[in-house]
Amino acid sequence: MKERNTGMRLCIYEDCYENLYPISYLRPVFELRCGRTLLREKIERALGPADGCFVRDALATAWAEKLACKVNDASLISGQDLMLVNGRAIFANVEIDRQGPEEAAMSGDEVVYARLNAATLQKLGQKTIPGILEAAAKGLPGRQLDVTVVRFPWDLVFANPAAIEDDFRVLGTTGRSGKFADGAYIYGDEARVHISDSAEVHPTAVLDAAHGPIILDEGVVVYPHTRVEGPTSIGRDTLLVGGKIREETSIGPVCRVGGEVEASIIHGYSNKYHDGFLGHAYVGEWVNLGALTTNSDLKNDYSTVSVYLNGKLTDSGSMKTGAFIGDHTKTGIGTFFNTGTVVGVMCNLLGSGGSLPKFLPSFCWYFNEMIAKGTGLRSLIETARAAMARRDIELTAADEGLMRYTYEITKEERDKLVKRDRRKLRVRR
Amino acid sequence: MATVEERIKQVVSSVLNVPEDEIKPEANFAVDLGAESIQSVELVAAFEEEFDIEMDEDEALQVQTVGAAVEFISNVMKEQGKL
Repeated sequence: MKERNTGMRLCIYEDCYENLYPISYLRPVFELRCGRTLLREKIERALGPADGCFVRDALATAWAEKLACKVNDASLISGQDLMLVNGRAIFANVEIDRQGPEEAAMSGDEVVYARLNAATLQKLGQKTIPGILEAAAKGLPGRQLDVTVVRFPWDLVFANPAAIEDDFRVLGTTGRSGKFADGAYIYGDEARVHISDSAEVHPTAVLDAAHGPIILDEGVVVYPHTRVEGPTSIGRDTLLVGGKIREETSIGPVCRVGGEVEASIIHGYSNKYHDGFLGHAYVGEWVNLGALTTNSDLKNDYSTVSVYLNGKLTDSGSMKTGAFIGDHTKTGIGTFFNTGTVVGVMCNLLGSGGSLPKFLPSFCWYFNEMIAKGTGLRSLIETARAAMARRDIELTAADEGLMRYTYEITKEERDKLVKRDRRKLRVRR
Repeated sequence: MATVEERIKQVVSSVLNVPEDEIKPEANFAVDLGAESIQSVELVAAFEEEFDIEMDEDEALQVQTVGAAVEFISNVMKEQGKL
């Protein structure tokens, strides 16, 4: 990370988080992963550590525990030169400096960052981030940047390959370091492989870097009969337990992954141990995908895929769009997802032979072709607590508070579908 | 008009595929009527649909017998103005 430039305060903010549900319910948008690193990590790699972050009020308590910088501290947006950075901007392959002239840098009509000096901040007299940004976009010199600003969950998946390449460029190659067994194989240029010192690659594992780099972080183990195809990034302490980890995939820390994964992001602390296909998907944290859980990422008629966002079908613009699965969701064996499915947080889904609905609201159960209330919030929270404890992570009171808040804001959409499907249980007399 | 108990028995019969005349007030849903965990959840949903009520899932899933369900559901119906 760059040396901190004390000349200008750096704050990262989030906005437009609703369009990134379900993967943004329990985290700020800048904590989403693209490539090896989180969006915030890329920003800080380019600009130095943030002095502060601004998030939805509901996330502030939980994330103040997790982030190194101050959270929602209004004193940070006055009194000193300030650089405000959009947490949805992907800072990959960019040359942006923390110190520089006042300006509002845009990507199309989206703010990437605004640099303002203290006097301008005072003159603007704005006390909120949106107010400052609006005034900056109107009043400061502007320029256009070739930077992706994430708008929808699939944008992260589409940007993943370039982000992996950029993360690899920063890391550099290590070739066959770590524990690289006899009988393991690198296909393609070894200079396109980064194997951390504590990573292990077992016999009969193949790292195919012919079409893109491969990153194996600290503690990664690639077990026999696993083929990893670049560009791919495998996060700290993740185990690849056999199968095909295909191109354009990022897997975060402490995951257990097998079967087939293609062009997907698994955020971290999630398991897909067994056979089943995951493609063009974003899977949150603490998800467990049961054996043979499979999603479709291509329609039989090759048309573009639509995804339910905030109650509306939104065209992804792409033929290849998979599933977006919120944190703490669990699927049973043989669960099948249609193309472009959205699954909320903390769901318990049991397949019943066919594809599940394209939208499953947070905190629901699905079984016998029916969305249901299930065993309720308390048991879901206890399951989350138990899952996290298995990895020695505490579910804090603030985390639980955020889950309860999310339960409330998703109640209406869930109750509507629960009542609709419950009619199937009417006794025929 | 069928009583609450009669309607509960009809629901249980439908969900668990057990003849109504085998459903006694003292019958335990899991032990006597064979309800597995998913079916218990389904029963709660079916009762909510039958009686047009909303039950607290934690409390509803603590109910173990048909007779206790009659009492529990009757109380919920009174609280929610359905009885």
